Amino acid sequence: MTTLPDYNAMSDAEFRQTVRTFVETNYPDIPRYSLSRLHWDEVKPWYMVLSENGWICPTWPRDHGGMGLNAGKHLILIEEFERYGAARVNDIGPVMLGPLLLKHGTEAQKAHFLPRILSGEDVWAQGYSEPGAGSDLAAVRCEAVLDGEEWVINGQKTWCTLGMDANWIFILARTDKTVKKQAGISFLLVPMDAQGVTIRNIENLELEAEFCEVFFDDVRVPADHIVGHINDGWSVAKALLGHERVFIGAPRLSAAALSRLKRIAQHSGIWDDPVFQDRYVALQCDVLDLSDLFETFVDRLRDGREIGADVAMLKIFQSELYQRISELMMQVAEEDAGLRHAPEGDRQLHAAATYLSARPTTIFGGSTEIMRNVLAKAVLDLPA
Amino acid sequence: MDASMNEDWQDNARMIVESARAVVPADGALSRVRKARFNGLGFDPKVMQQAAELGWPLMWIGEEAGGLGLGLRETCALMEVLGRGLVPEPVLSTMMAGALLQEALPETVMTGEAVILTAWQDATGALTWQGGAEAGHLTGPKVNLRGAAGADLFAIVTGAGLAIVPRSAEGLNIETAETLDGGTMDRLHMTGVAADFLPCTQVDTVLQDATLAHSAYLLGLADRALEITLDYLRVRKQFDRPIGSFQALQHRATEMKIQLELTRAAIAATARRFDTGADVATRAAGAARCKLRAADLAMLVSREAVQMHGAMGITDEADIGLFVRKAMTEANLFGSPRQQRRLLATRLDQEEAA
Repeated sequence: MTTLPDYNAMSDAEFRQTVRTFVETNYPDIPRYSLSRLHWDEVKPWYMVLSENGWICPTWPRDHGGMGLNAGKHLILIEEFERYGAARVNDIGPVMLGPLLLKHGTEAQKAHFLPRILSGEDVWAQGYSEPGAGSDLAAVRCEAVLDGEEWVINGQKTWCTLGMDANWIFILARTDKTVKKQAGISFLLVPMDAQGVTIRNIENLELEAEFCEVFFDDVRVPADHIVGHINDGWSVAKALLGHERVFIGAPRLSAAALSRLKRIAQHSGIWDDPVFQDRYVALQCDVLDLSDLFETFVDRLRDGREIGADVAMLKIFQSELYQRISELMMQVAEEDAGLRHAPEGDRQLHAAATYLSARPTTIFGGSTEIMRNVLAKAVLDLPA
Repeated sequence: MDASMNEDWQDNARMIVESARAVVPADGALSRVRKARFNGLGFDPKVMQQAAELGWPLMWIGEEAGGLGLGLRETCALMEVLGRGLVPEPVLSTMMAGALLQEALPETVMTGEAVILTAWQDATGALTWQGGAEAGHLTGPKVNLRGAAGADLFAIVTGAGLAIVPRSAEGLNIETAETLDGGTMDRLHMTGVAADFLPCTQVDTVLQDATLAHSAYLLGLADRALEITLDYLRVRKQFDRPIGSFQALQHRATEMKIQLELTRAAIAATARRFDTGADVATRAAGAARCKLRAADLAMLVSREAVQMHGAMGITDEADIGLFVRKAMTEANLFGSPRQQRRLLATRLDQEEAA
């Protein structure tokens, strides 16, 4: 691989142009602006383009095969990819596992797993949630017992996004039942083709198999497939990068939905209706104000300051705003709101697609209810 | 109205709700409904046959014309049960045909040999029905029928009168789009379809009745969705306690209950007014008000139900998803909340003038 230029040294404008040219030149012949996730067989060409150009892991350090982007530059990259409508790749390896291994992994683990993420040889799934452990994640029951040189794993994981595409999964497993629940969890790496692993796809409200359940029946993996120390999995897993928590609150989803809302209102002939405009303008102000709030967090990232628990405000407001826009869409779409496919083949007019895609945003990645609890306790300092 | 009349409608309502058990399982099982999705029709023709045997198409035909001669209170009781069971069959559309045609309703429909559906709406986003006739023929679109492929006959509502046409009529084309609930939304294109026009003076009345009846369907949908959600709040445990014990969720559940009871009261009172001789203005405003609240209710409850079910809520295998998709499909039929508000707004000046 050729050495990449020092992107952080570029001006923002120069970097933005570089990214824009890159995506326009290299984006393969696959769908753009998809509201639902693409599967690996569809999105792989884009992953491989990014991989071959050294762009698949923007935040990893350059000496580990990443672009070494700082937060500001990373945001520009995301903005330009989304502006073009580039599909989101299977990014659990690049976004979650990679940074986690860099922080907690052994040299051997880094040497083995990181290159395989970079090359697209390994596609990772996340195995955190269980049927009885959702918001209460520390209640995981999937169990791993050390038997000589191997972990023996039994239990179940669920809501594994695009898990059916993965050849590896990292899981939180119960390794000590005698201690406080957060203190008895370990972080393990499991190949999906191991004996005793089975998966079952789950169809979402859009009737697409976007996630799956994974069952572990006496699955054996080598003892060194643990990241961090035994029973230290909870703190390993919680170390999600600060700027990922910021970027989830970016106003782009809502801004794009707002422009579709405008199209639908025009199509319904009510764009000039003052009642509609009253509600539209209120939402528009919400999007603009969210952008300003978002920028204050991005500024903190740029300055290298810590991101605190107050970042939860961003996700709460952005996901609920996205939902409120989708709700107005459903109202102004009139009877077309009930159509399964885009009216007149125009996806911009498909209110239901936005409405359904907005539902999980307040559930996954920390439900709005849990986020509010966090805010109330950690930020407002209210009693438990 | 004396007490005995009051009891009459209640007895009738009880009987008709009882008869609905043939179509809606008492235990709330939705396996039949789930199976009927995306089969090209979205419903089961055998159930339409059953509905005819139960006399439902005759609901709004006077007894003197061989019908059941029942009112809106009985109808709304039935529609609420159908909504609770997410019954996908276009029962209401056949009732409308009966109400419009009265003694002219074809014998084959009465016996259940044939299914007739009502085509009235001229355009999406509008509540007008006066189009569709030109020079003694049917010409133009009629939109937003459901399950048209399952109809043998259409009752076409036009400004020139009512026409009964077979689905196979020359010059009649049907454009079908799949809906989220697994059914279809269909548009009739008519070009010079030959027809005899029957006079009909009560289209607006029937549309108001249907709008109220559809509101009751949405009420039933929301009622059952809330029940399912409350059950889930009671059994689903996180942090070692039922999630229904958390006040944040309790408060939102009570908000749904308040909205539900407002809707139920509005529909019951409006149905009573309809049955006891409300004037034109009261009817129009009553139907609009009920439809507006019922649509908002169905969307609110189904949305909150998803959130409270957590990840389970966004799966197709959990029954709550069926309620979400049905609400999304049905909420804007017979006029979206926006259209109803506009309709009510146009009445403001009339009220002032009066």
